[in-house]
Amino acid sequence: MADIDREEFQKRLDRISELFGNMVTHADAQASTRCPYRNRFDQCTAKFHCRNQRPPAEAEGELMCGHDGAFDYRAAWETDPESFEKAKAKIDKIKREAAHRRAAPDDTAEPHDSENQKP
Amino acid sequence: MAELSDIQNETIRDEIEEYIERPAEIERTIGIFAQAQPLMQRIAAALLEGDHQLVDELAQQALNEGVEALEVMDFGLIAGMGIVGIKFRENFIFVPEVLACARAMKAGMAHIEPILSAAGVESQGLVVMGTVKGDLHDIGKNLCIMMLRGSGFEVVDLGVDTSADEFMDAVEEHKAPVMGMSALLTTTMPNMGKTIEAFIDADLRDDVQIMVGGAPVTQEFADDMGADGYGKDALACVDLAKSLVKA
Repeated sequence: MADIDREEFQKRLDRISELFGNMVTHADAQASTRCPYRNRFDQCTAKFHCRNQRPPAEAEGELMCGHDGAFDYRAAWETDPESFEKAKAKIDKIKREAAHRRAAPDDTAEPHDSENQKP
Repeated sequence: MAELSDIQNETIRDEIEEYIERPAEIERTIGIFAQAQPLMQRIAAALLEGDHQLVDELAQQALNEGVEALEVMDFGLIAGMGIVGIKFRENFIFVPEVLACARAMKAGMAHIEPILSAAGVESQGLVVMGTVKGDLHDIGKNLCIMMLRGSGFEVVDLGVDTSADEFMDAVEEHKAPVMGMSALLTTTMPNMGKTIEAFIDADLRDDVQIMVGGAPVTQEFADDMGADGYGKDALACVDLAKSLVKA
């Protein structure tokens, strides 16, 4: 089998990037009225709970999406200033504690646990 | 000029008839598939159905039969993805279907990558990606991964609910120059900071460039957490990864 010509392969990569880039742009626009976890059968593919989830259409089927598309659901995701400030404060606390820990090493501190893996 | 009847594969003919409406796109798509070998058409059809296992088998079969890798890409994978793009644009399919098709494309490309390596064509770099601990949202991350792979990056996907230890283990194992963290909730965003601190504690911080993203994340947050970069969307993620991998 012939080697792949690098320039020719790059042309293919550029084409793929163009295709995917257009899709990502459209996904962003589509997401303003339709949850990206909602598939073409209006089923929910999310692995987390959402208030818009409805019982499946068939007994063993996937949950259905009950969002009516009438509003931009992302408003529910928008960070309100208070929760944003809480998150910022938490990050500041994490950094302070880390700096304190490094300044005064504790012999009982646990080492990097490489066994803590997801199944 | 090629006609629809010149395309052997019934699924491809049906897809063109049902989902492509613009005359120029119909003509171009028919032109591509009319010259494609039947096996390439089968690869494209399987990709359109999101059947990653079948794309995997057929791509392997094609290469074993001596089909050139670029031909598999042109007339199987990219041709199929072209129709996916049209269907998505016209809202016949949505993000879950696109990601399934992207997964099928990845399955096909997995057989082409060794050929690329043998020819000395290197990837752009390796990126470890994950959604942080406590967060189960993954669409944004998955779109970023799709873009990164499409741009020539190798990606290790750690999935959702990823602990600092899991990020560190992956970066060490794969010697990843770049790592990306995603968070969709303000309550899980701080875990990005925790993970970065864990890298510092383990003396791994200098070994990897860390980028962050997600709906509630901002440049200010990224700077506060000590990240090396922030990407506001999947397109920015790729540009950022390209700059960080050179850093």
